[in-house]
Amino acid sequence: MSRRAFVRSASLGTLVIALGGAGYCLASEEDEKKARATNRADGRPKLPPGQYLLKRIRPMGGTEGDPSPGGWRLAVSGEVDAPFTIDFAELLKMTQVDQTCDVHCVTKWTVLDAKWTGVKLADLASRAKVRPSARHVIFEAFGGYTANVPLREALASNVMLAHKYEGQPLARSHGAPARIVVPDLYFWKSAKWITGIRFVSSDRPGYWETRGYHNHADPWKEERYG
Amino acid sequence: MAESDAEEGASPPKGAPREAHQGKKKKPQRWRPWLRAMHRDIGYVCVGLTFIYALSGLAVNHLTDWSDGDASFKTYSTSHEMGPLKGEDQAIADDLRRRIGIEEAPREIYRQSPDELEIIFDKRSLHANTTTGHVVDEGQKPRFILRVANWLHLNRGKKAWTYVADGYAASLMVLAVSGMFMIAGKKGLIGRGAVLVGLGIAIPVIYVSFAGP
Repeated sequence: MSRRAFVRSASLGTLVIALGGAGYCLASEEDEKKARATNRADGRPKLPPGQYLLKRIRPMGGTEGDPSPGGWRLAVSGEVDAPFTIDFAELLKMTQVDQTCDVHCVTKWTVLDAKWTGVKLADLASRAKVRPSARHVIFEAFGGYTANVPLREALASNVMLAHKYEGQPLARSHGAPARIVVPDLYFWKSAKWITGIRFVSSDRPGYWETRGYHNHADPWKEERYG
Repeated sequence: MAESDAEEGASPPKGAPREAHQGKKKKPQRWRPWLRAMHRDIGYVCVGLTFIYALSGLAVNHLTDWSDGDASFKTYSTSHEMGPLKGEDQAIADDLRRRIGIEEAPREIYRQSPDELEIIFDKRSLHANTTTGHVVDEGQKPRFILRVANWLHLNRGKKAWTYVADGYAASLMVLAVSGMFMIAGKKGLIGRGAVLVGLGIAIPVIYVSFAGP
């Protein structure tokens, strides 16, 4: 092999490795153009600035929790009058909603029209009787992971505790058996392997927020880093 | 000793006694060939370990760039069409294990709804629709080399490995120090070598100064 051929092959190999797994589910350029040109009902563009399109959500790691539905428990606590803990069977007995929404990851990929099934966070808050003193919600997950969201945004109608994605039970790498979905913030706020929802009166930056990521995480303002 | 002193600089004229060539000013430096030989042989021994540590170090640094989560495992998802699944949950699970070829016993069998059965294994889950027989088989498969490399890199192995790792670290220090003295003259430690060694030391010092704890 000539030196030039070697350098060319090495460069190509490096490029493939650098692109990693991103290429395997990239959406078409046409879809991306269309998404950039389309606005949501609230007037904001469907594809936030700096994002590109994937066809399906990509699990981004994290300390994997126990995927067993039978062992799952969720504690709703903090600034509430009626704290409670539910198991997976109780979660399934609550009013279930199907929701189609977009997902925006801080690593710049977006998936449009992801389909989720689960329970609205507002319903869980209503059952817990959240006190007026509550201002923020802390999502607590396996391995000590936490994410903070202002109460007003956490109780938005599209925020949910999901146990199905695209009609199938959540995959282990997506947070089985249940995860939070906060579609209008970068997806690190949507804690996987959720174990607790704590309502608090003062803000407590979470796992990534204390490691240099933005405290709020609005994709349309590109609030990636603090 | 593999290399001769001649490699270090000008060689004596053919047939001339070494002492005559070098005169009375300088005695031949006999330590450098020994140093080179030691550096070379320790270097050969360290090749395998260096590859393992370098590969696993890159994996540890770039887990999320390369894979979805732990680079030691590859996430997969496949589907099977098994036809309607009837009977008790345990019987369905046993039947699926037999037909898919899973030897491991499930950690949990969970009836999520009248037509949805979850069968959970250690690193694998089966999501079965008992009415249609559609089974999603998802989980993680180990990547042998990366898993072993990470296992060693993070000292998750048996305690004895700590001694190997310590020995490897000491060998690297020997290589670093002996490497500094392998070449004499301006290309060695009194010339560009000093500048490059300084650069190597400066990189972590500057980084820690600006971004340290």
